[in-house]
Order: sequence, then C-alpha cells, then structure tokens
Amino acid sequence: MDDILPKLLNFPQHPPPPNPLSDQQYDEGIRAQISVVKNIPNSKLLQPTSGGENVLDIINPSVNSVPYTFILIANIEAAQRNDKNIDQENLWNSIIAFLAQFDPRQMRYMQTELSQILDIFSNMARRHHQIPTAIPHIRDALLRFEPTGTLLTPKHLLLVKLALEAKQFDDVLPVIDKTILYIPGAGHRPRQKYLCNICLPPAAYITVQTGFVAKPLKHLEVLEYFLLSGQVYIGLKKWKRASECLEVAVTYPTKDSGPSKVMTEAYKKWILVRLLMDGKMPVLPKVTSPGAAKVLKVLGKPYETVAQIFEQGTASRLKSELEAGRDLWTTDCNMGLVMCVMAAYQQFQIKNLANVHTKLTMVDIHNLTQSAEIGSKLPNAAAVETLVQSMIADGTLHATLSHPPNQSPVLTFSPNGPLLTEKQTQAALAASSTRIKALTEEIKTTDRMLMYEKEYVNYAKKMKKNAAAGLEHGVGVNDMDFLGEDEDLMGSLY
Amino acid sequence: MASLQSAPSSPTQPRNKKGGFIVAEPPKFDLESYIQNYQGRTRLDRLIYIGVCSTFLGVEALKLAVREAKAGKDIRKYFEAQAHLETIGPEEPEAVRDKSWIDRVSKQNDAETKRLEEELKGYKNNLVKESIRMGNEDLGKHYHAIGELPKAFEAFSRMRQDISASKQIIDVSRHLINVAAEQKNWIAINSNVQKVKSAIAGTAEEASVQPYLHAVQGLAHFDVGDYSEAANSFLWTEPGLAQSAATIISPNDVAVYGGLCALATMDRNQLQRRVLENSSFRTYLEMEPQIRRAISFFINSRYTNCLQVLESYRADYLLDIYLHRHIDEIYQLIRGKCIVQYFIPFSSVTLASLNSGFAPLGKTMDKELIAMIQRGDLDARINTVDGLLESRKVDPRAELQREALRMAEDYEKEAGRRILHMHISMAGIEVKSPKRSHGGQADAAFFQDEGHRLGGGPGNRGLQY
Repeated sequence: MDDILPKLLNFPQHPPPPNPLSDQQYDEGIRAQISVVKNIPNSKLLQPTSGGENVLDIINPSVNSVPYTFILIANIEAAQRNDKNIDQENLWNSIIAFLAQFDPRQMRYMQTELSQILDIFSNMARRHHQIPTAIPHIRDALLRFEPTGTLLTPKHLLLVKLALEAKQFDDVLPVIDKTILYIPGAGHRPRQKYLCNICLPPAAYITVQTGFVAKPLKHLEVLEYFLLSGQVYIGLKKWKRASECLEVAVTYPTKDSGPSKVMTEAYKKWILVRLLMDGKMPVLPKVTSPGAAKVLKVLGKPYETVAQIFEQGTASRLKSELEAGRDLWTTDCNMGLVMCVMAAYQQFQIKNLANVHTKLTMVDIHNLTQSAEIGSKLPNAAAVETLVQSMIADGTLHATLSHPPNQSPVLTFSPNGPLLTEKQTQAALAASSTRIKALTEEIKTTDRMLMYEKEYVNYAKKMKKNAAAGLEHGVGVNDMDFLGEDEDLMGSLY
Repeated sequence: MASLQSAPSSPTQPRNKKGGFIVAEPPKFDLESYIQNYQGRTRLDRLIYIGVCSTFLGVEALKLAVREAKAGKDIRKYFEAQAHLETIGPEEPEAVRDKSWIDRVSKQNDAETKRLEEELKGYKNNLVKESIRMGNEDLGKHYHAIGELPKAFEAFSRMRQDISASKQIIDVSRHLINVAAEQKNWIAINSNVQKVKSAIAGTAEEASVQPYLHAVQGLAHFDVGDYSEAANSFLWTEPGLAQSAATIISPNDVAVYGGLCALATMDRNQLQRRVLENSSFRTYLEMEPQIRRAISFFINSRYTNCLQVLESYRADYLLDIYLHRHIDEIYQLIRGKCIVQYFIPFSSVTLASLNSGFAPLGKTMDKELIAMIQRGDLDARINTVDGLLESRKVDPRAELQREALRMAEDYEKEAGRRILHMHISMAGIEVKSPKRSHGGQADAAFFQDEGHRLGGGPGNRGLQY
C-alpha cells in the first residue's frame, strides 16, 4: 500500500502552489490522477498501510477526494462480497465522513461514483433502519455538490422519499426549500471545456453525460418529486410552500394530452391546501395546460364542491358533504387534510368577521360562527374563546382579546393586519430584489442554453434564409406572417 | 350599478308573488281619478290587483273591475274579478255571477272569431295586401279583447308581412307592444321599440312617438330590474306623453319610476343635472311633487326627510302593478346611498343614530349595514360592543409596501415556473399523449408502489394523508 500512496496523493499538490492552478492545469491534473487511480486494482486499494491503519483513516477526503472515493468504493464492493476484513460500522462512518467533507470541485469529475455512493448509502440506511441518521448526510452532500439547489436530480427524489418513509420532514427542508429551475438536459448542449470552472451554472456541469444523473429524468419522476415534497410540507403544515410545490405539479406542461395521474392527485391536494391557506376556492394558474385543466376540473369535482361550500355554505352542509365523501378522501389519502379543512372552517368564519366588524363580544362570535366539526355552534362562548385564543397565539388572527369586568370577553380586530416595521420592510424588499437579480441571471443562462437547442438553431437558420430571400425580393422579414407560428419562448416573461 | 344588480339578495328583497302581501294602510290617491289615467285592459288588471292587495280599497276596486269587465268581452277576467269580490264582499250586487251575460258574450265572441277568420281567409284568396293586413289587425284586436294574448300577438305579427307605409310599422309595433306589456314579454317590447326607431322618418313623426317609445322602453328595463337603464330611458322622455301610452303606463308613472330609478342609481351631481335641471322631465316631475321633494332632500343631504317622504308613499307604490315588486329593492338602494353619503364626513357614527335616521319603522339597520359592507358599498366596520359604525383607516404606505412585496413574490414565482417549463420542454419530458397507455401504466405503478411503501402516506403528527 505504502508504495502507491504517493501516487494517490499526487493531486492536488500539497502544500498548494503559490499561484492557484488555472482551469486547464486543474483539468489536466485531475484527469491524469483519475486515470492513474482507476488503474490500480481493488485488491491493492484495500491493503492496509504498513502501520496497519485503514487507508480511509489516513486520507483526508476534503483534500484528496478522488483517491478516497475509489478506495471507498473498493471497500463497499468488498463489503458486498462479505469480505471479513471490512468493518461495516467503520465503512458507514467513512461514508459519512466522505459525504460531509468531499471537495465538490473534484467530485465534478467523479459524478458516477458519487451517485453510486449515495445510492449505496441510502440502501444501507434502509437495511439497517438508519434512515433518520442518513437523511441529513445525503441532504448535506447534495447541497455540497450543487450549492444552488436549483437543478433537479434523481437524488432529490430519493431524499424526499426517504423523508416520507421515515416521517422525518424538517431535515430535508434545506433541499426542498430551493426553487427548482433546471432539469438535467438530454443533450445537444456543447460540452463544457473544463468541468472544474467554479463559475459554471449547475445545468452545465450536471448533465446526463456527466454521470451524476444516470439517465434522463422522466416526467413522472419530476412530478413525483413535486407531489412528494408537497406532502412533506403538508406534514409540516406549511401550507404556503406545500401549495407552491403542488402547483408546479398541477401546471406541469402537457403536450396534446390530459394530465398525468400524479397531476390529478396534486390538484386534489392543492385545492384543499389552498383552502386552508386563503379559505377560498383557488383558481388554476394561467400557465396550466388547457387540455389538462379541463380534465382536472372534472376529476377534482368533489374537491371543488367542498371548496365552494367552505367558501359560501353553512357548517352543517360542509360537515355532511365531508362525511358523504369519506370513502373518497380515504382512497385518495387526503383524510388528514380534510380533517384540517373541517377544523379550519370556523377559523375562517372568525377571520372574515374582521371584514365587517371591529369589535365583537365572545357571545356575538359564538352566535355568528359555527364549527364544521360538529355541524353547528360550539357548545358555549368559552369554547369559542379558547379557539380565538389559539388563533391569536399562532398568528392566524390579528386581534386582541380583553376581559372587561362583568361582561363577555371582547375581541378587537386590528385594522390593518400584521404591520411590518420600516426596517423589516426594507429588509424584505432588499432580499426580494437580490432574489430577483439572481433570477435574472438564471433567465440569461436559460436564454443561452436555448440558443443551442436544435429548434432554435433551425429557426435562426430559417430567419437568416428568409432575410436573404427577403432582401432579394424587396420584402422585409417582418412582413412574413408565417414566422409568427414559431414559439416565443422568453417573450412572455418580460 | 352592475355590482348592485349582482349583489346577494338582501333580507328585505321584494316578495315576488302577486297577492303575496296585503297593503293595509290607506293610499293617498283617489281610485276614480287614478284609474282615469289609463285606458284599455290595463285598467282591469290594475283594478283587480288593487282589489286583491288593498284592504282599504279592495271592495270598491273590485266592484269597478267587475263593471269594467262586463263592459268588455273577456270572460276570464270577469271570472277573476268576480271571484275575488265574492270572497271579500259577497253582499255586493256585483258579486253574483251573471250567467246570462257569460253565455251571451261567449256566444258573441265565438261568432265574432269565426266571422273575422272567414273574412281574413277571403282577403287572403283575393291577395289584396291592404285587406289582409287589416283583417289581421281586426282579428288581433278581437283576440286581445277576449284575452287570447298569444293568438293576438301572432295575429299582429302577421300584419308585418303586408306593410306598405312606415306609419303602419309604427301601428304594428304599438299593437305588439301593448300585447307584450300585458304578457310581460319585455324582450319583444325592446325589439319593437328598436323597429319603430329605425322606421321613423321625419322629426315630426319622431316627436309624436318619442315619449311613447321611451316610456315603454323604460318600463321594460325597469321591470327586469335594470334601474340605471330604466332611469336613462325615463329621463329622456320628451314632454307630451299624455294619453298616448295610457294602455300601458301613465305620465305620472313615468315621473315616479324615473325619479325613483334615478334616486336609486345616480350620484348627487347627476341627480341635480339630469333630473332636476332636465326641462323635458320636469313636466312629468311636476305631476308627482313628492318625488321632486325627495330628490331635493337627497341633494341637500337631508337624508332622513328624503326617506320619510318615500316611506309615506310606500302604500301607494305597493298598489302599483309594476312598482310593487321592486319597491323594497329600490328603497333599499336609496337608503344604502343615503347611509354612504351620510357617513362620508364622519370617522364613526353611533348605530343608534343610524337606526333613528334611516331604519324603516320597527327594524334595525344591522343586517343591512353588514350586507352593504360585504358588498363593498360601505367602507366601514361595525363595532357591536360600543354600538358604533367606524370608518376604515387605511395606511397607504403599508398597503403599498405590502403590495410591492406581493408583486415581487408573484414575479419570482412566475419567472421560476417559466424557466422550469422551458427546461422541461428542452428535456422533452412533457406529459405526452402518444405514450399515453404506457404513461398510464407507469402512473399506476407509481401509486401502487408508493401506496405500499408509504403505508397510506405519512401519518405523521396525527395527520393521515
């Protein structure tokens, strides 16, 4: 083992050279390193050092990620062959150490291996019932490898599935909180000269060819990711994010086709979640494919009815409607949400009172609102008071409660809802403008990528030809109506 | 106005069914002179309506109605009037059914129908256009008189084929409008009004029918509840209606309907300019001075007086054959406007003062105020604890900031979604139909798989999915 160690630690140089390597030098160096290490047989990689230590304990994964990866994989393969020399627990810890420390720049050249390690790690976790421990490590590895989190990979889906299996939701939020913008492309894109260029957008160094994404994602996987992350947020009762995720699924583009079944499931959940959010029947976003929207409307009818009754009907109607559909909710796995909707009915009634009243006694509120859970008024004003108190406490109701002597408690609605201080507003505005600026960059990236699309190239060629022909015949390009049918891909954004 | 129309029904919506309510207060008008304003069959309808609804004038009106009916040829109307009279005033001589009259008139009617139809057939064989037209006209008039409204309408419509002068177009349309008004067929009225308008040639001719057309059109808009359009039509009515529309509507009605509709739908400036300063409408308004008073009170911000004047005429208006269905709604609109106007200069007003100023006798304003706030007519909030109506204080700066943040968020969301869509289509993974059966299987497989693995979803924190 000792003889190959220098070879393994050959790159990157230690200590680092005074002038950082150029992208080209780095690229050459790491490629050479990889081909060298690849050619060392596994048996050799598995040998301990002369001092009897495991090599994995010597190599620092944050500096020498390449050799560490290969040795790790050699170890894993040995473990799968039930090699007695491999200590499972040690191996587990080594993987964890690796996931926490690897150098993302080096790993860009080792994407297949990284993907493999993540798969194996999650399988091990499943086998040993260690999913809760594994989730944070996988999450951190994903963010370490691709810090923007805007590119959807199969590992995202894996992570969300693990979270749902272990019912451990909070830990995956750092990953699913990011807005997904990119899908790894199937091809056509020019190869990046140097993968190590740290300025590259994620969609440039993670493609189907680079290995992290073994095969192109299918629509089902994309939809599944959004539906499942919606479910994670539902589990956390974060209605806003849940609705956003489900909305992405609902508005997923379709081409001459109705919605996928996942889209309908997402639509049903989306209605209920939006109901819990704003107490109103939601309107499908404009970008929904028209063909899909029609079918969704039909398939989601029972849910739309619930939303309508929630908005306009009485508590007893809502209760009977929800009870009549019990089987349906259970089959659709939406019973939990439906229960939430039932509980939310009276809360929205109370909130809506603020549209008409400024001050009300508890007795009035008791008389004016009804609970959908029991289909009538609450038994007494004290029960209403408890409800109101809980609503004020969790911030859904902006009001104050006072107890005048010898009278029913009085609820005073605050006229303008929650007020942000000047500073908070400033901060929010600044944050928002930063995000929009970042988004503008993404738009530019997308625009550049579109330029290399076959369709666009054909279109551009046609334009050029037309312009030439137009000049010959004295007709301007703009006169040609038939050009209008080419899609305007970015125009609608501005 | 549109928002008022589509607003949810208020607690004081008019009761629609004829005879569904009884007017017990004595009206201000005199029955004899009231009915003098009308001609033709509408007299009978109005008398019967008053007879049914008014406890005060009931017997008198029905007696008149019976006499009126016997002077005509419509046996069904006679039955109606006589039957009502029999229930409320059996000792009156008119309450006894006159069998001999019925027999005689029904025989006469049948003979007349036959004769006119024969005649018409004869004219048709001779192919003389003018005679056919007149034959149809006679037949229509006869059917109208005996109460066969659909047949009358048909006969009058047939006149149109044989028209030779523009004067005749007007005649035909007037016949049709008469019948249609009795049938409450407002669409037919509107279309006939348009036909007349396009047929009118000279200004002299126009001047003679203009009041008629506007009055009738106004009524058509009014009865379907389009008060703003109705106000427009009535207000444009030139002087000189006199008896020309007496089979349908009287000049007094034009003043009342037009004034009330204007009061219900127009703001203070419009009322001043378009109603009080309107020279052509003034001639009508003079006949009903109380409407003029109500409008002046409104303009001078004396809302309580305005409502009092209207309230004192409620009984009269409830006995009007068209107005009774709308009076509650119109009064409510007017009251709503009064409250909104009254409230403008205040930041808060006690509910007690609103109740004393605006509420109809024995009622409170609470429900109406709530309805108005919910419709967005009144920008205020109710404080039930202290009994106050408080104006809403808005903080424009905060509103703007909130709006800005919301817009930015929307933009972010939308832009993000579009970028994603583009990448989806670049990757070519939209949901497509050619692989539909395949895709469907995959979907099903996903759900089986998920359902199995997730055990019916994450039943975390007491939730089941």
